[in-house]
Amino acid sequence: MKLQVVVRFVFTIAIFATAIFTGKKLWDRYMDSPWTRDAKVRADVVNVAADVSGLVDRVAVKDNQLVHKGDLLFVIDRERYALALSQAKARLSASRAQMGMKQQEAERRARVDVAVVSVENRENARSQADAAEAACQEAAVAVETAELNLKRTEVRSPVDGYIANLNVHRGDFASAGAAKLAIVDKNSFWVYGYFEETKIRLLHVGAPVEIRLLASDRPLKGHVESLARGISDHDNPVGRELLSDVNPIFNWVRLAQRVPVRIAIDNVPKSVQLVAGTTCTVIAKPRPSPPYRQATM
Amino acid sequence: MPREIAILDALVPNLLPVFLASVVVHVVLDRVMAWCGVYRHVWHPPLFRLSCFVCMFSACGLLVLR
Repeated sequence: MKLQVVVRFVFTIAIFATAIFTGKKLWDRYMDSPWTRDAKVRADVVNVAADVSGLVDRVAVKDNQLVHKGDLLFVIDRERYALALSQAKARLSASRAQMGMKQQEAERRARVDVAVVSVENRENARSQADAAEAACQEAAVAVETAELNLKRTEVRSPVDGYIANLNVHRGDFASAGAAKLAIVDKNSFWVYGYFEETKIRLLHVGAPVEIRLLASDRPLKGHVESLARGISDHDNPVGRELLSDVNPIFNWVRLAQRVPVRIAIDNVPKSVQLVAGTTCTVIAKPRPSPPYRQATM
Repeated sequence: MPREIAILDALVPNLLPVFLASVVVHVVLDRVMAWCGVYRHVWHPPLFRLSCFVCMFSACGLLVLR
């Protein structure tokens, strides 16, 4: 009877201990390992603006189209810039003629005897010839600028990528510097994993990462590229007069803030289409052992 | 293994269906064990039953989160 009581007790306690052990394991796996469901695919987005103002004459691309570096995107009305080039060329001719005249004058005066032309007159002629030469150079630069402006009426793609949100049409007025369309750089996709600050210590640069897109069943491989070294402090906005405005609240329950961790995607299979802004889950391999231990070994 | 599952287009963590499945399995197991009279041989049946459930759920959870 006594033995039976002991066996019953030990059996129950053994199951209880196993439950605590596996429960703790699951807790650690879920709560204390470096993974997050809050991650986004990101890409460099280039905002393309015209370098010169004018009416849009032609749009050479369609929305969402793949473009390569140097491909024509849209053309600004060339006429005004062609006229400006002609004008600059005419000015260059005029200043060349002027320069020729001044130089001949200076040479002629240099040859004539001092009794006829004073030294002052001769020096003035030389200076005027030099000034005319400088004016001629200026006019030449003006021609080059006009040529550049004319060239820049053709807006070309700065990167390989996809047109996004095309919002420019024939007849629109494009102001210089105002972005008219965006291009998602095709070779720049990366993932931003927003990890809780409590998990940052488990991550290290170079750690292998599994990326699971909501949009695809195939996991992607990647690695931690870098960790953000700053996030903004919500409790301390700058008030008026540049004094800090500390929020006088202390919450009983606090949520760990999120720190962005940049993850490089090692390779993307052809069947997976990355879309900037989409959600994914990121699972990182935890740090194998504390770094100080590695250092002493 | 994906870490979430779509239930009527709402994505929930995998642990939720695992938990629900564990509950169902545990109810069945509980009946079977009661029928076999296992509970007469344990010291504290409620503690034993809870421990059984936790063991099962944790083991399944660890498998899913592998």
